[in-house]
Amino acid sequence: MGKHILILLFFGPLVAVGQKVILVKDTLSANGDSVVVTATRSERKLSNITVPVTIINAKTIQQNGALRLTDILKEQTGLTMTSGFGAGVQLQGLNPDYTIILINGEPLVGRTAGVLDLNRIALGNIKKIEIVKGPSSSLYGSEAMAGVINIITDASTTIPLQASIRYGTYNTLDANVNNTLATKNLFYQGFYNYYNTDGYSIRPNSNNRVTTPISRLSTSQQFKYKLTENTNLVFNTRLTDEKIISNIAVSNGGVTIYSNGKEHNTDINLTGSLNHRFSNNLKTSFRSYLTNYVSNQDLLTLSGAPYSDLLNHLFQRIENQTDWTVSKKLTGIFGAGAVWEGVKSSRYDSEKVRKNNTIQYGFTQWEWTPMDKLIVIGGVRFDQNASYASAWSPKLSMLYKLNPQHKIKLSIGQGFKAPDFRQLYLDFTNVAAGNYSVYGSAEAQKVIGQLNSLGQIGSLYSNYYLLKSLQPESSTGIHLSWDWEPNPKTFISVEAFRNDIKNLIEVQQVGAYTSGAQIFSYLNIGRAYTQGLELETKYQWSPEWSFSGGYQFILTGDKDQIAQIKAGTVYTRDANGISSRLGLTDYIGLPNISKHKAQFKINYVTNNGYFANCRILYRSKWAVNNTNGNEVYDSGDSFAAGYLSLYSSAGKNFTNGLSLQMGCDNMTNYIDANNLSNLPGRTFYFSIKYQIINKK
Amino acid sequence: MKKLFTQTILASLVTFTLMACSKTSDTTVVNNTPVTATVKDLVADTVLGVDPKTGPYSAGKYTFYSIENNSIVPNTDSATTKWDLAFMSTRILTNGGTSGTGKGGAFIYKGLFEDIKTIAADSVFKTDNAPSAYAITTGSGKGWYNYDQLTSLITPIAGRVLVIKTASGKYAKLEILSYYKGGVTLSPTASDADKLTKQRYYTFRFTYQPNGTTTF
Repeated sequence: MGKHILILLFFGPLVAVGQKVILVKDTLSANGDSVVVTATRSERKLSNITVPVTIINAKTIQQNGALRLTDILKEQTGLTMTSGFGAGVQLQGLNPDYTIILINGEPLVGRTAGVLDLNRIALGNIKKIEIVKGPSSSLYGSEAMAGVINIITDASTTIPLQASIRYGTYNTLDANVNNTLATKNLFYQGFYNYYNTDGYSIRPNSNNRVTTPISRLSTSQQFKYKLTENTNLVFNTRLTDEKIISNIAVSNGGVTIYSNGKEHNTDINLTGSLNHRFSNNLKTSFRSYLTNYVSNQDLLTLSGAPYSDLLNHLFQRIENQTDWTVSKKLTGIFGAGAVWEGVKSSRYDSEKVRKNNTIQYGFTQWEWTPMDKLIVIGGVRFDQNASYASAWSPKLSMLYKLNPQHKIKLSIGQGFKAPDFRQLYLDFTNVAAGNYSVYGSAEAQKVIGQLNSLGQIGSLYSNYYLLKSLQPESSTGIHLSWDWEPNPKTFISVEAFRNDIKNLIEVQQVGAYTSGAQIFSYLNIGRAYTQGLELETKYQWSPEWSFSGGYQFILTGDKDQIAQIKAGTVYTRDANGISSRLGLTDYIGLPNISKHKAQFKINYVTNNGYFANCRILYRSKWAVNNTNGNEVYDSGDSFAAGYLSLYSSAGKNFTNGLSLQMGCDNMTNYIDANNLSNLPGRTFYFSIKYQIINKK
Repeated sequence: MKKLFTQTILASLVTFTLMACSKTSDTTVVNNTPVTATVKDLVADTVLGVDPKTGPYSAGKYTFYSIENNSIVPNTDSATTKWDLAFMSTRILTNGGTSGTGKGGAFIYKGLFEDIKTIAADSVFKTDNAPSAYAITTGSGKGWYNYDQLTSLITPIAGRVLVIKTASGKYAKLEILSYYKGGVTLSPTASDADKLTKQRYYTFRFTYQPNGTTTF
């Protein structure tokens, strides 16, 4: 066993830790033997993790009948799915832009308007998903401002072959094949997923509920080769190829343009790493990563006008990380890396020229255990790059175990989000809607200056003269949590958080054409905060029955708007249009955020393989449009209604490797076509899985 | 000549329609006492139809309004000082500068209608200087309204008061309450057809001081 642990520690950061350590037992408490890699960039027992972390294991994914990453994330406390430009995740009130999505520690790229479509990620070969909340996860660099979601793929060898197929409403078909091969020195796993649906998705600019047929093929291949007892090589590939048929209707000024579109998105990820253990106290790994996301959207309007939109994001990274155990009480990690990144887009000045950025970074982290009850972790990362100002991300966190029942965690950290390529290089004029233009900050002054010399600029706003190179957005977060396990059957966790965000990059009008059409660019102007409470409970009522629940309360605000409201310079209108001064009590804060969110799950499992569950999700109303004549969101604006949705699933795992499952999502058929385009009506599914179990 | 004739006919037709659908209330004209009134659903070049190629079209006519008399002024009097304000879609003219022969002008006050007891002595009334500058600034976020690209809705900015100098050089304060028929801004989820045809109906309230002073 000891030897196993060493090997696992050694393989750990690259491939999911082997199944021998993580008996995926649905332990109630956080004191289980789960191992977490995301929080500290090294394997740590969950019970020793100093920052807020949520683990979703494969069993939960299977029992909930989750197919895509969105399916499972929407049921987590503190996470909300957003719609528009694909399904993104809002974490503790921060937009999808601020959460980094990793697969086995490597970031996914290819965001549209800051949103990474999480439907791209199939869950068929996932071992677990780790979610670290708050900027205390700052060792991951840009985008890890709200948090980190790390998807760890399965690398177990107990199941040589597994196949499953699922069919459901909207002709949704999902088929998976997993195969593994393990010899003394070589491990191989292949995963194939085919997904096809008649769809129901909604495209941007269309308010109508339309069906968008999608077919998606995903595959991943993992190879691990043991060169010597202390050295191994790992090579992973992943490919997602999706084709979407989108027949859309765009209305503008009463003219509706119908078009037939095809969208083709390809996502390729290649990872290679060389890992070496010098001694029990020192190990190092060299990793290289290449990913390319290519999205091609072709629209042919019925009047025959073609429109195409290309996005090609290439991201390459090399990194070294060395882990050093100085003593039983002190361990440290050091790392450094470099990123070459480039984007080609038809929304930049030329889709043939790739806009590039290079980043160099270094980080270190120290973990000190002065006594059994206390763990303190401090770390810092520095990112230096070519296109914008550099950024420091420090963090400090601690865990204090009062006694076996009570644990207190405190973490403080600073994270950042670099200006993205769109904010730097966008060169987009919306011919379909008013001919307004948006120019990225890196080019805005040059482009507008040229237009001005050609006499095309009608007016320049004061914001124009404020344009300069963008600063990264940054956030300082504090998380305090208390875990209480009054008895082995009950677990309660309460967490309070506050994030203060500055240098928010916002679209601002900087001028107007002579025609009056608006010209926009990006400036660092916003300051905001999010704060709230999260509560999570689990209770094992009997060997078969267990209950779990979660609740999040969140308050947000734009600090500049609050200052204006306090100064009495923000007004609102009543239903008759009469203006009055807006009071702070009517201020809502940031849009698209529900103050209350809760979920509850009843789980039933028997020891002869039957399982069933029922999940209830609740989300309170959220502001969607500013309709009462001011720039702030207040109680007089338009809201999406709060709602409850209900999910259930049941099945049986037979001892011969066969599993049957059926389920119903959104049982009450709750639909809000305007505000919840990602929520289809009631859907049913049935799935069958067969696995050959290696009795080894 | 024929064109002018057609225009006149059209204008009178429009005016007739306007008079038919706008109604006024609380009108008491006593010299020296400020007059407060609310005008509902004043038509301002409403959309007549949608051309499948070029989009929505309208007659392209201003609706002239006299603040002093609280009534619509026929288009035939456009070259006189009988009108104080003229409305066409989101644009509002004052009777002065390039727009008219009167002494009219305006400025936009940021604050509440009730806050203006007396027009501050250092206030600067601007006059129309078409096509680049109007006393009542045109454009989303710059004058009296915001235009939301996503919902295609025009909302009067809260806390904006138009301080008006009439054609004869008297003063009024005016708050635009709605740009949509019935005096209520449409819901963002309203149909495209409603968003097109129910817009360009002004509802506003004003207080006019007939004695020529700046105190209301």
